[in-house]
Amino acid sequence: MTLKDIRPGDQCIVVRLEMNNLRKRIIDMGLTTGTLIKVKKLAPLGDPMEIVVRGYLLTLRKAEARTIEVTRIAPAA
Amino acid sequence: MKKNRYGQLSNLEHPQSLNANGGGVLRIALVGNPNSGKTTLFNGLTGSNQYVGNWPGVTVAKKTGRIKISDINAEVTDLPGVYSLSTISLEEEITADYFRAKRMDLVINIVDASNLERNLFLTHQLLDSDLPIIVALNCMDIVGKKNIKIDVVKLERRLGVPVVPITASKHSDLLELIRRIATLDLSPRESRPRYNDDIERLIESFQRLTGDRFLAIRCIEDGPKEITKPGFSLAVQTELLALYESVSRVATKDFDMVLPAERYERILTIVAETMVKSNVDRITPTDRIDRILTHRIIGIPLFIAIMFLVFYLAFGPLGNAITNGFTEVAARLFITLSAGIKSLGMAAWVGSLIDNAVFGGLIAVLGFLPQLAILFLFLSILEDSGYMARAAFIMDRAMHRFGLSGKSFIPMLLGFGCSVPAMASTRTLDQAEDRKITTMIIPFVSCGAKAPIYGVIAGALFAGSAYYVVFSLYFLGIIVALLSAVLFKKTILKGATGNYLMELPEYRMPTMKNTILHTWERVKGFLVKAGTVLLGAFIIIWFLSYFGFVGGEFRLLETAEMEFSLLGSVGKFLLPVFRPLGFTDWRPAVAILTGFVAKESIVGTLGILYGVAGDVLTNGALLYPIIRAAFTPVQAYAFMAFALLAAPCIAALAAMRKELGSWKWFLFAVAYEMTIAYLVALAIYQIGSRGRGGILTAGFFILAVSLVFWTVRRVVRKRGNTCGSCDACSAKTACKSFPDSEK
Repeated sequence: MTLKDIRPGDQCIVVRLEMNNLRKRIIDMGLTTGTLIKVKKLAPLGDPMEIVVRGYLLTLRKAEARTIEVTRIAPAA
Repeated sequence: MKKNRYGQLSNLEHPQSLNANGGGVLRIALVGNPNSGKTTLFNGLTGSNQYVGNWPGVTVAKKTGRIKISDINAEVTDLPGVYSLSTISLEEEITADYFRAKRMDLVINIVDASNLERNLFLTHQLLDSDLPIIVALNCMDIVGKKNIKIDVVKLERRLGVPVVPITASKHSDLLELIRRIATLDLSPRESRPRYNDDIERLIESFQRLTGDRFLAIRCIEDGPKEITKPGFSLAVQTELLALYESVSRVATKDFDMVLPAERYERILTIVAETMVKSNVDRITPTDRIDRILTHRIIGIPLFIAIMFLVFYLAFGPLGNAITNGFTEVAARLFITLSAGIKSLGMAAWVGSLIDNAVFGGLIAVLGFLPQLAILFLFLSILEDSGYMARAAFIMDRAMHRFGLSGKSFIPMLLGFGCSVPAMASTRTLDQAEDRKITTMIIPFVSCGAKAPIYGVIAGALFAGSAYYVVFSLYFLGIIVALLSAVLFKKTILKGATGNYLMELPEYRMPTMKNTILHTWERVKGFLVKAGTVLLGAFIIIWFLSYFGFVGGEFRLLETAEMEFSLLGSVGKFLLPVFRPLGFTDWRPAVAILTGFVAKESIVGTLGILYGVAGDVLTNGALLYPIIRAAFTPVQAYAFMAFALLAAPCIAALAAMRKELGSWKWFLFAVAYEMTIAYLVALAIYQIGSRGRGGILTAGFFILAVSLVFWTVRRVVRKRGNTCGSCDACSAKTACKSFPDSEK
């Protein structure tokens, strides 16, 4: 499962990052293995997506999102 | 605490004493994340009016200023904001290089306290070096409002460097910061972050080659990209590359994640120990605003409405009224001045120069000023508030189709107003290549000054359907711009990635001071250009328009004699070139040439050349009869298309030269725009003048070509298995990263 498959409102944890153009930057922005991500919303045209990571709002394209392998976790009660 | 050699209290009274004492100017560099308040701090420290916006990446080149407060003798450099020393754009490279080369005595690392976790990542990268660092913990006001408490003393202890809590706009906080700078120990810093044993061993093995811990860490983080930078000898480079290759191959985890992951772990512990957050999952004001502004359905309509409102205010009745008032006052002032100068009894050409080149030119340019100022004002508000980042987020999908990032949308949109601010705003793009592409396509977007051309000509010839004709021209401009973007990206600017990874800053209330400074900075830039480059250009154009041979005698001409001017001769000379475009008369050709001064002067020149009395700019109907006589609808359409697409006015050319950064690119862009304008106008006239059959044939031809192109593309794609999503895979092999991608 990749970040691209996580629906808005759901949370997930980073498992692995595949190669892509922005890989190093994505890591430095805090998406390291084990990081909690909350998918906030999709842009009105369906792409990019907005996520909350390490307490701030980050937007990235689905092209990059699908290189980020994640596991979905149950939302906090 | 001891005072260092720069913090001498006496330097105001004895400015020379510093150098005499072997001291000098303390070089301070501001380093921090984009949008962390660096520029506000810089302004506060130096008193300089610098550009500050709530859009990640506003500082695009380093700026330097002298500290004006307190008695410290220091030079502060504001470096482009970076998230990491591993850079992805040229601007970021400026900061990383500056830091690597240690071109400063001390670093103020500005950290946004409301976003501690991510900001401390860069701090840790900086701490790896031995440069003296002071952390300015900014946004303490916002932190207070959010019920976040930060234990500064503990943070200071954990980081091992001084931490000064500030609100960048507060003077007293800056004084405290300066006080701490003045007492800072400037010798190489001993305390540096220690990592886990594995990483320490790794660093050690690299340090044996680099000789420096910081450089060793940089090599581990960035690998070959860092190792091959100038600095290491070829032998060391080879050894480093071999070492990197061997350690990265045996690493269990992704090697490039080892250090960042460790840093973030450290940061998490530090944050947990020093920060207390209550109401963690509270819905923030930013959330509430974004629920509306980036809403799935109303997000785009709202964006269009906001942009429309800005344009309406700048170019609609309000902007027009202010412009008219302003131009009238300026014109009166100039008439009085000109009468005064003429009464001094100088030669006739002096009067003409002053009237037509200096004052006429200034009015042509300054006429834009009120509208530009209004546009700049609203854009600053949108930028400072944080909305511009949302606009890029909303529009990215649409721009991505043409290989551009959402950030390119705002510059293009501004292009509808005026190319000059549009080009200046391309600096918010990360990649130099993306910036070049955007700058080069902006002139195709129909700017406000081109509107009078369409208004008059379409009004005269296409009475009932004038709106459709004008709309079609705007549309033509957009299509040419977007197709050019694709063309550039596929050919000469392959480095353009159109990458998109953007932080959405929290919404902030724009402050009056920032908004005014911001607007003024941009207006000032325009004024300086009007007074220098443009004035020179106007004098040249004036000379060409008001001197010529009449009856074998070279002399100054009256306005009505423009036909005989040098420019007129050029127009006549160029007529054969323009003839295939449907120009049967030299007068439209001359009008096009004067359009390079200011596009709206095309209408004025037509009026002069066809001998129409009265102000044709405010009353276009005066021109209708002569336009009906001079143009057929097809000729007129080709003429308008040429005026739209040909290289822009001098002001925009100057802006383009500045943003492209080299004459080579500038000349290429101008040549490209002229060629496209020529080809499009040629096609319009040649096809249009063949009547319905010609248009249908052309339509069929385009359809057939696109069909062939589309089929070939599909076949090629299937063979090559390339999805174009990244450059990590070659077209020959199946894409490993995207096994699910559409092949």
